[in-house]
Amino acid sequence: MNKSIYILEFKLFFRNSATWMGIILLILMGFAGLYFGKTFIEKQEQVITKAASLQKQQTRQNIAHFGNDIGLFFYHNKFSLANTPDAWAAFANGQRDVNPYLISVTMLGLEGQLYDTDLSNPLSLLLGKMDLSFVFIFLFPLVIIAFSYNLLSEQKESGIWPLLKAQTDKTFTIIWRKILVRLMVIFALAFLLMFVAAIYLKLPFDGTFAALMVLILLYLAFWFAVAFVVISLHKSSNFNASALIAIWVLLCIVVPASLNLLLTKKYPIPEALQNVINQREGYHEKWDMAKSVTMAPFFKHYPQLKKYPFPEEKTFSWYWYYGMQQMGDDAALGSRVLIEKKLASRQNFTETVALFIPSIQLQLGVNELAGTDLDSHLNFQQAVRKYHETIRLHFYPAIFTDDELKNTDIENYKLEKYVPKDVPVIWINLLSITTLTVILAWVGYFLLRKRI
Amino acid sequence: MSNIITTIAKQTFKTAFSNKATLALLILLGVSLCLATYVGWQNYKSQQNQRLHYKALVRAQWLAKPDKHPHRMAHYGYLAFREKHELSFFDFGIESFAGVSIFLEAHKQNTVNFSEASFANGMLRFGEISVAMVLQLLVPLLIFFLGYNSISAERESGTLKILLCQNVSWKQLLWGKTLGIISVCLSIFLPLILLTILLWASLSNWEINPDSSLRLLMLILCYSVYFFIVSAITVLVSAYHQSSKAALTTLLACWIFFMVIMPRITQAIGDKIHPSPSKIEFADAIAADISRQGDSHNPDDVHYASIKDSLLKAYKVNDVKKLPFNYGGYIMAEGEKISSKIYSNHQRQLNATFEKQNRLTVLSGFLNPYLSLKNVSMALTASDFKTFVDFQNQAETYRYGLAQKMNKLQIDKISNIAPGETAKPLAISRSNWAQQPDFNYRFSHLGTVLKSELLALASLLCWLTLVIIMIQCTARWVKTIPNQN
Repeated sequence: MNKSIYILEFKLFFRNSATWMGIILLILMGFAGLYFGKTFIEKQEQVITKAASLQKQQTRQNIAHFGNDIGLFFYHNKFSLANTPDAWAAFANGQRDVNPYLISVTMLGLEGQLYDTDLSNPLSLLLGKMDLSFVFIFLFPLVIIAFSYNLLSEQKESGIWPLLKAQTDKTFTIIWRKILVRLMVIFALAFLLMFVAAIYLKLPFDGTFAALMVLILLYLAFWFAVAFVVISLHKSSNFNASALIAIWVLLCIVVPASLNLLLTKKYPIPEALQNVINQREGYHEKWDMAKSVTMAPFFKHYPQLKKYPFPEEKTFSWYWYYGMQQMGDDAALGSRVLIEKKLASRQNFTETVALFIPSIQLQLGVNELAGTDLDSHLNFQQAVRKYHETIRLHFYPAIFTDDELKNTDIENYKLEKYVPKDVPVIWINLLSITTLTVILAWVGYFLLRKRI
Repeated sequence: MSNIITTIAKQTFKTAFSNKATLALLILLGVSLCLATYVGWQNYKSQQNQRLHYKALVRAQWLAKPDKHPHRMAHYGYLAFREKHELSFFDFGIESFAGVSIFLEAHKQNTVNFSEASFANGMLRFGEISVAMVLQLLVPLLIFFLGYNSISAERESGTLKILLCQNVSWKQLLWGKTLGIISVCLSIFLPLILLTILLWASLSNWEINPDSSLRLLMLILCYSVYFFIVSAITVLVSAYHQSSKAALTTLLACWIFFMVIMPRITQAIGDKIHPSPSKIEFADAIAADISRQGDSHNPDDVHYASIKDSLLKAYKVNDVKKLPFNYGGYIMAEGEKISSKIYSNHQRQLNATFEKQNRLTVLSGFLNPYLSLKNVSMALTASDFKTFVDFQNQAETYRYGLAQKMNKLQIDKISNIAPGETAKPLAISRSNWAQQPDFNYRFSHLGTVLKSELLALASLLCWLTLVIIMIQCTARWVKTIPNQN
């Protein structure tokens, strides 16, 4: 009996042309998101492959041009580290369009090179990438609204409601059944898209997949809970539609956009500009100073290099030059730490407000799992710092002793790939959306029970 | 005749305000607009002051450099900061996604770094609240809520028949309703504009720049046209739909499609059709061109060998050290000339590719009035792509000028005989540094802006014409009495 009622409800639901329009919209946009998300990431992968061969070629050319002068060679030669995209990056492009995914640096001062951006079209950055996460965050809620806003009000407006009420005392169950049918259809669509994504993007069915799936389903359930509360107010269809769209506009546009402005106002980062100035002055001023001003702090920084004799009498030596470059980085250390602190406060602020705004929460969680958020980029920057330091310490002795380039192992150097180690945990994201959903569902249940 | 239109408009206006929900929405929107204006100004001021502060610092540091070799100064270089236009508080445009500072040095063209987006986590992708965003996205939504039932409710309640029998024409009804809705919008938009003008004038110390004033006037005009288009569309949709509910659903679906989905898709397609090179490919193409024309770093380069030969011949000497000017400076000037010309060509091509990517979004303005207004608004507030490119070009011109100035100083004032390994380095007086002027970005004039935005303006005009024609001709197509089924 019960089963057949559900079948009838499904039939009723699918008889509506709006249902099909919603389903087709989500599938089409989902596929478009997958396609554009994948092409974007594929292009980055191609560039990384190309960069690997280019680096070899350029190193060979530099050896031909500057091979006689080891200091000059390392002045020109670049070493690259690539932030290779995770399979999930195609699902959520995140900040990968804004932040560089390939950083090529010479052995000179790092702070002057680390923040160089890729070439990008700022209008494309502004309008945003089209990927599957966009469809889940923005479009699914809209279809949920379209499916459920007139659930109860339509019955009333068409005059069916009094009839129903007269025939059964289980009116709540009827509403509940209708919501459940819509929930199942939406969840099925989400599963379908995720399944296609898994095949198309070659996503492994692992813990990350499970965590993301749960996060997305919870987010969709949250929107059903919102719709449920509005429905339970017993207002007209037009009121429900307007109210739900208004809530969507608030949660997906106005509130995050306002918070964003607040964030920029609360935590401005003038230190970034100060950092450039510190690095530039810290290095350039040394040209006009006694060599000891450079070399004393340099040897303090690297006591192990003291054993290589410094040519004090020469007007210019690469030894001094690289020492001065190091001073630029050392001068920028303070501002660099300040930037890191500011960014950490920004992250804290965002995580706190996200506890109350599921749309932000989902965006943060998805980007984090896909390794496309700001934190991943900062970790990548740290990896570049480490790599740069290793290269410096490896080649400094050869430069400082004016060794022949061919005695070094420079030919073995190739493009390196950065692979993040730890898998992020998103328990907080899951928990906050669950809590909000449960509270709303309970409110809706209470309101509906009271008024039925 | 026009009396009837005014009466209908007044009636619409009054009804809108008697509705509590509308009133609440209007107040909410008004408050958020005031907030957006205020915070927009605060942000503009603090960021602009930051940039001006560092600009002054960079200038002072440049002038304070001691006597040294001019080539050292060429490498010390200059830092240029992208200044914000005073109207950018109104529309943030690409501001947050475009870099802020660029390091200008000899031999090398750097990227504009430190955009706000590079310090942002995912939240920025939801947008930034600005006056323009409220007016472009939220006011249309308000108009839809105000007007979705403007005609259909009359039809549902049966008053439409009565109205049309009482010597009111369809045209008058549509005009009246449209004007009524628009006046509701203007009732919040106008005070806000006054507030904006006052705030803007007071913060620029009552010294109003005529070009900016014209930009603002044009901005007000375009937004008014936009509101008119949206109001007219709303009334028309309401007229063509049998029920208010259907009209509302259509309008909301349109809002979502045109304002949320379409901008992303058009730009994604534009990016796909016209792929832009990555930085390494770009740099590699430039390097390839340079080595074809003449690479000063390559000891066997043919171009530089021939320069050397002709110089030796002209001055009748057998060694470059015997030339009466600084040979190194001469070669560097030649290298800078070749490399910067090649770089600029490639940069121009790259920007042309970006323009092509954006072209689809501009053309979509003919299908989507939101996009045409968005483009016009960004251009008028100098927060658009073209202004960013213009900044890059002006910075590159300055960089080239600085490098060549230092090369010239080296050619003229530095001895051609290199000092010994332990001798004091060659230097010129620090008084020369002041010859290099400060970098000052100049915004384009309104005329130039309008000329480059012709397409977007044309699309807005097309929409205006279209909705006027629709209002005038609707009587022929629309049904007065609901279908009886």
